[in-house]
Amino acid sequence: MSEAVAASTSGAALEAQQLGKRYGRKPVLENITFAVQPGEVYALAGPNGSGKTTLIRLLTGLAFPTSGVVRLLGQDIYNGGYAARRALGAVVEAPAAFYPHLTGRQNLEMVAYLTGMLNAGARIREVLARLELLAVADQPVRTFSLGQRQRLGLASAILHEPQILILDEPTSGLDPQGISKVHEILAELAWKGVAVLLSTHHLREVSAYADKVGILGGGRLLEEVRLGAKGETYRLRVDDAPRAAAFLKTVPGVQNVSLRDVNVIFEGSPNVALAALVRENFQVQFLEPDYFDLYDYYRERVKNA
Amino acid sequence: MLRILIWELGKLVRLRSVQIGLLAALVLPALWAFAPGLRAQYGLELVSGWQVPALSLLTGMDFLFPFLTAMAAAEVLGSEVSMGTLKLVLLRPSPRSRLLGAKIVVVLAYPFILLLVSLLGSLWAGLPFGLGSFFGGTGVGEGSFAGVGQLSPAEALAELLRAYLLAGVVLWPLSALAILYAVIFLSTTSAALAAVSTLLLMRLLVAFPALQPFLLTSYLDLYVRPEAVSWGLPLLIIYTVGFSLLALLIFERKDI
Repeated sequence: MSEAVAASTSGAALEAQQLGKRYGRKPVLENITFAVQPGEVYALAGPNGSGKTTLIRLLTGLAFPTSGVVRLLGQDIYNGGYAARRALGAVVEAPAAFYPHLTGRQNLEMVAYLTGMLNAGARIREVLARLELLAVADQPVRTFSLGQRQRLGLASAILHEPQILILDEPTSGLDPQGISKVHEILAELAWKGVAVLLSTHHLREVSAYADKVGILGGGRLLEEVRLGAKGETYRLRVDDAPRAAAFLKTVPGVQNVSLRDVNVIFEGSPNVALAALVRENFQVQFLEPDYFDLYDYYRERVKNA
Repeated sequence: MLRILIWELGKLVRLRSVQIGLLAALVLPALWAFAPGLRAQYGLELVSGWQVPALSLLTGMDFLFPFLTAMAAAEVLGSEVSMGTLKLVLLRPSPRSRLLGAKIVVVLAYPFILLLVSLLGSLWAGLPFGLGSFFGGTGVGEGSFAGVGQLSPAEALAELLRAYLLAGVVLWPLSALAILYAVIFLSTTSAALAAVSTLLLMRLLVAFPALQPFLLTSYLDLYVRPEAVSWGLPLLIIYTVGFSLLALLIFERKDI
């Protein structure tokens, strides 16, 4: 279900190459290389202090790297001028920061103006409705709850329909309903072709729709994990697991058979595997889809880094 | 650009240091006008309301106005850093120089706003002394407060406007210096402290006579020294432009 992947940069919407950042002699990030393709969701995970926020500041052009380059749709964000940010929507703080004396709508109007959007009224209304903020849109942001501010942050990021979305902890401070809403929107945007990069600690939630997870540790990209489609891998428990695994390797329609503790893991048709095992008189105790537990994997990977 | 300038102006007047500064500029002239120790301090007996603005200017420019100006300039950027809104703005496809340029314009306008409020406050405080023609001087024209004869209200106002405008320009380099420090430190307190410290340090440099003509602190009283305007004014403008350009240059590649 998971595999380490090399970054492919052809046609990438967002691309970081050999990115490094030092403060004085202290390296904060080293040799970060990865790419996010259009329509792909890339989740950035890592313990506190691993460099996620610094990386996001570099990717959005708020900070400048000591080495390396970031390209948005092929344009160098540092030397390509501000125009490279036209394709970018981002929220780099949790909760998102806004001018507290302005209303939610006025804040979005300012963002629209700075983004060069003309006649943005209808689009502002649309994103406010999408993020369920219409009822509070004309109240000063200082009266907003944490969750409302966070949703307004996402509204400002998607306002100009960017092709690349970079979000730092987009679900931080949201209630379960708000979290589902944000995930739903992100999945929908990715489906429409937007390249989404988000940093998160909520790996189990993100693994439902993320395509890749980059695990950061100690300022380095420890691994990129590609998440496959759910339901392709199965797990079964059987009376003699090693022998059953050896047998399943010979069954057509069943692939990548392996042992994990007392369970047999395989890909392919569960019906074929089950019928074959029963035919050979194995006592099958259970068979179920084997969901890749990203959180467990991440924990293990960071621990061993 | 005009819309950004209006936004920046709106943000400026919401800053706490600006609100306190404007209140002080409005109210303090009343204290100067009715202070019992005025004669002892300045050897001055007010004979006209037109003399109160000069009194406010003389006392204010000594420390209060430069300090308020530095605080406001530092807070214009520092408050955005502390609120996190600077990132919100810089993420947009707009040149950094345009955003900081608008702030610099507003910061350079602030001394005039501050001084205008002080002038209005002073004229209000001077009302009990009368604002008609009088024998004497405004304190910022020929003959200082003693004057050189009778002064009409129009002449008095013209002298005061000229002095207040010059005082505004005198405060420009300090505003530009404070915003330069704000860009460097990204902190209101550090920037204001650094700007005021630089000002105090420059005052000490008068111990080196060769440097004196080039120190901006040598021209803080330019509004009462018309003979120094031809050299002092261009120098103050050069300082202002220099500090502003440096701020823009550093901000262009500054990590936020």
